Amino acid sequence: MILLDESALLAIAPPALLALLALVLVVVDIYRPGRDRPLITVAVAGVIGIIALTVVIGPLPGVGLLEGATEVFDGVYVRDSLTCFLDLLMLAIALLTLLFGPDYLRPRGLPAAEFAITLLFAITGGMLIGGARDLLLLFIALELLVLPGYLLAGYAKRDGLSTEGAIKYFLLGSFSSAIFLFGLVLVFGFTGTTRIPGVAEALAPAGDGGIGALSAGLLMGLALLTTGAAFKIAAVPFHYWTPDAYQGSPTPVTGYLSVGPKVAAFALILRLFVDALGGVREDWTPFVVVLAALTMTVGNLIALSQDNIKRMLAYSSIAHTGYILVGLAAFGAAPAGSAAAQAGLEAVLFYAMAYAFMNLGAFACVAALQRTPGVTSQIATFAGLFGRAPMLTVLMTLFLLSLLGIPPLAGFLAKWYVINAALQVGGWLNVLAVLTVINAAVAAFYYLRVVVYMWMRDAPEGAGEIRLGRLTQIGLAIAAIATLFYWAPPLPTVLIDLAREAAAALH
Amino acid sequence: MAGLPLLSAVVFIPLGGALLIAFLPRERLDLIRGAALLTALAAFAVSLLLVIDFDHAAAGFQRVEVASWIPAFGIEYRLGLDGISLALVVLTTTLTWISILASFGPIRTRVKEYMVSFLILEVGMIGVFLALDMFLFYIFWELVLVPMYLIIGIWGGANRIYATLKFVLYTLVGSLLMLVAILGMAFTYQAARGTWEGAFDYEALVAFGFDPTLQFFAFAAFFLAFAIKVPMFPFHTWLPDAHVEAPTAGSVILAGVLLKLGGYGLIRFNLPLFPDAAEQWAPLIIVLSLIGIVYGAIVALIQPDLKKLVAYSSVSHMGFVTLGIFVFNEQGMAGAVLQMVAHGLITGALFLLVGVIYERTHDRTIARMGGLAGPTPVYAAVFGFFVLASLALPGLAGFVAEFLVLVGTFAFSPIAAAVAALAMMLGAAYLLWMYQRVVFGELSDFLRGLGHHLTDMNRVEVLTLTPLMVITVALGVAPGLVLDLIDAPIASLLAHVGGDSIARLR
Repeated sequence: MILLDESALLAIAPPALLALLALVLVVVDIYRPGRDRPLITVAVAGVIGIIALTVVIGPLPGVGLLEGATEVFDGVYVRDSLTCFLDLLMLAIALLTLLFGPDYLRPRGLPAAEFAITLLFAITGGMLIGGARDLLLLFIALELLVLPGYLLAGYAKRDGLSTEGAIKYFLLGSFSSAIFLFGLVLVFGFTGTTRIPGVAEALAPAGDGGIGALSAGLLMGLALLTTGAAFKIAAVPFHYWTPDAYQGSPTPVTGYLSVGPKVAAFALILRLFVDALGGVREDWTPFVVVLAALTMTVGNLIALSQDNIKRMLAYSSIAHTGYILVGLAAFGAAPAGSAAAQAGLEAVLFYAMAYAFMNLGAFACVAALQRTPGVTSQIATFAGLFGRAPMLTVLMTLFLLSLLGIPPLAGFLAKWYVINAALQVGGWLNVLAVLTVINAAVAAFYYLRVVVYMWMRDAPEGAGEIRLGRLTQIGLAIAAIATLFYWAPPLPTVLIDLAREAAAALH
Repeated sequence: MAGLPLLSAVVFIPLGGALLIAFLPRERLDLIRGAALLTALAAFAVSLLLVIDFDHAAAGFQRVEVASWIPAFGIEYRLGLDGISLALVVLTTTLTWISILASFGPIRTRVKEYMVSFLILEVGMIGVFLALDMFLFYIFWELVLVPMYLIIGIWGGANRIYATLKFVLYTLVGSLLMLVAILGMAFTYQAARGTWEGAFDYEALVAFGFDPTLQFFAFAAFFLAFAIKVPMFPFHTWLPDAHVEAPTAGSVILAGVLLKLGGYGLIRFNLPLFPDAAEQWAPLIIVLSLIGIVYGAIVALIQPDLKKLVAYSSVSHMGFVTLGIFVFNEQGMAGAVLQMVAHGLITGALFLLVGVIYERTHDRTIARMGGLAGPTPVYAAVFGFFVLASLALPGLAGFVAEFLVLVGTFAFSPIAAAVAALAMMLGAAYLLWMYQRVVFGELSDFLRGLGHHLTDMNRVEVLTLTPLMVITVALGVAPGLVLDLIDAPIASLLAHVGGDSIARLR
């Protein structure tokens, strides 16, 4: 059924409108080239409008024109509470990145138009992943997400590091996409369908009409899919591209890369591994447990020795991937349909939400510090920041403490949720929970090192005051409020409800 | 007055003050200092209201304040007061205003941030003593960490960054494992009851009764967090560094209140929540306490630095607290609580006194001092008073506390009591020897070289120390002031644990 009825139109409106907004920006840029201000205004207003529209369309707990799951294009795309949750998160990431970008790009002569347009296309890809119910759409959306990412990474094309990072990102990214695609093909070949519900049905236990035990070909497919997904979320040992790509990219792009593709890749994991491959979870859960343990431990240990703030935050983001994977492991290890399985998925979503705001906030602080071209990313540039920009220092401290998991900030509640889910499953997951907190203590060392530089060391000679651009101020305020007031009633209840409904959509 | 939410008031008055100060102009130092002092005094006044209005006869928690917070997990905002928490809250509010007043002179840079940190620190400390929800308790517990990290790291001595990182990392490792234990308890409760309601409620969890395996591990996790804070041997190594580098008022609060958070946690959480495990672990903890008492005293004996000496004396004195707690009888427990209060007052005062001399000499080396009695008679007298108080002179607060602990320990094991008593003699030795070297004899060349800079205590310094002297004497003469408060909670606590040893005592 190709004809779209009213609810189907509503269901695809958010990603479609975002793509349209990107196209409008292209036109605006053609007629008014080099004028960043009106363009960014249109982009920000457009994204805010689409956020509002997404809330109106729903389905959210108690709000929204749509209810339950609305299938579009014969079930290729679906809008349920998970889609809506992920759409809102991706749009929030887009909004913050749009606010943080221009103040950094303008002094460097980098055009904001290309930045905004490329970004919005990537976000469209991320939103499509969130609602994909077909392996083909999943892959196309994934490519729509990552291709603009390569462009953004190499966006400062006269900067050698940026180009180097972009090439590494591109090569390993396309490599992993190919692996992933190969896995999809094998799954298609052995189940005979590209539809996710169809795959899930085919893989159901033998008693329920499925094939039961996996054949060698399917196992191969599963292994390739796991590898591809692990590349995309930068789990150890598939993380090598991250530090270089992060270090080389313009800082606001790094902020986006550390959050956007990661959240979208977890959306992909939820749609693919939980939804389609949930029936064979015994086969992939052990890998996820090991990946989680490795990822957080290795990420944190390497982060300890970094002197470049962007590399440090890159490894820190790898560690955070590990924490999110604990939630996925909890889902996989819990009995199907149990409360613990649901808690694991909630933990993934809840963590991703907290992580997006605090990590973007931290990168925005770095970008604000580097507003003047030529400021390096060495941690030493943070020395005596308190004397130069007290408010920025307080905010950066807030984001770092949240990443560290100090209560009552967002990062603490997120860790709390993950550990809670793991303990509900018990067994090996108890070990993972303890490993999580030990890692948090290790992480304290490198996060606090930056705090030491900002508050307790003297600024270098001749370092002047730092002025924040207005857009950066607005963005920082949003990120800080989201990070600081995660605990304040009724926010936790609202957010838990959101995550709970979204996770429930997968059952 | 019964209807007023005084507990929330005493917790959040400092937070309100901190927010207010954050918006004051940076250059108006007097305004900032005044606002901070007034805030701390307001919290102090409210805590006195709590004392006046306290019902000695009532069992359990009083003035419980509850509000819904995260119903999805049964997490509530729940505060409550009993005699033990009341004694420690008053200790906290007292020491906080004294510390803020004592910081007026020494702290001259970033005064605004200092005062904000100090008041947020007070929020965390009072919150820990009043929280009856495990989640809320954990938030307050960790909240203490950040301001103290900044206070040591920004306004501390030469090696402050090393000291403050060590302090944070030690504390964090312990408390994060405690977080896992809290969640494990909550989930066990939820699994058994089928609802999250009450899964973080302290009283519901105490009544629940956990199975021995969970008790064993959860006790270990809680114990590690509290033992690091107390600090017990062998987890004490962060303490001398933190104390030496911290500014004077930071040391006062660190010794006076932060260490008490650990002792309070052991009494409030470890014993009632995990009574079986507590009895299993008790012998080990008693041995560690004894080692701490003796080791702290011996190491204090050879310290060349005044502040380090007082720091190690804390390790020794706090050993009496853990010893008193884990002999499981009324005398021991009452002595432990009283010792926490007494140590808070006396050691807080000793750090203030070291600060007074450091302000004038910028040195704390004992060997360079000598003959202070001549130029600074008032200082010498006050110092002498607190040295005697610290070595537990009868008639002062410390004596009653350590005596009670010894009585309780004797009933448990005469040998343990003998070891602890021996360490008290060592205490007299290192304190009197130190006092002799610093105060008596000829004025040292170093001090003579300071000339007229070596002034006696000024009015503010006298003002900060006088209340501590008054309370130390009052508690020494009338320990009932505190003991009456803590009688009922201790009795109900001991009904949970150590039934055997109580029987033996009677």
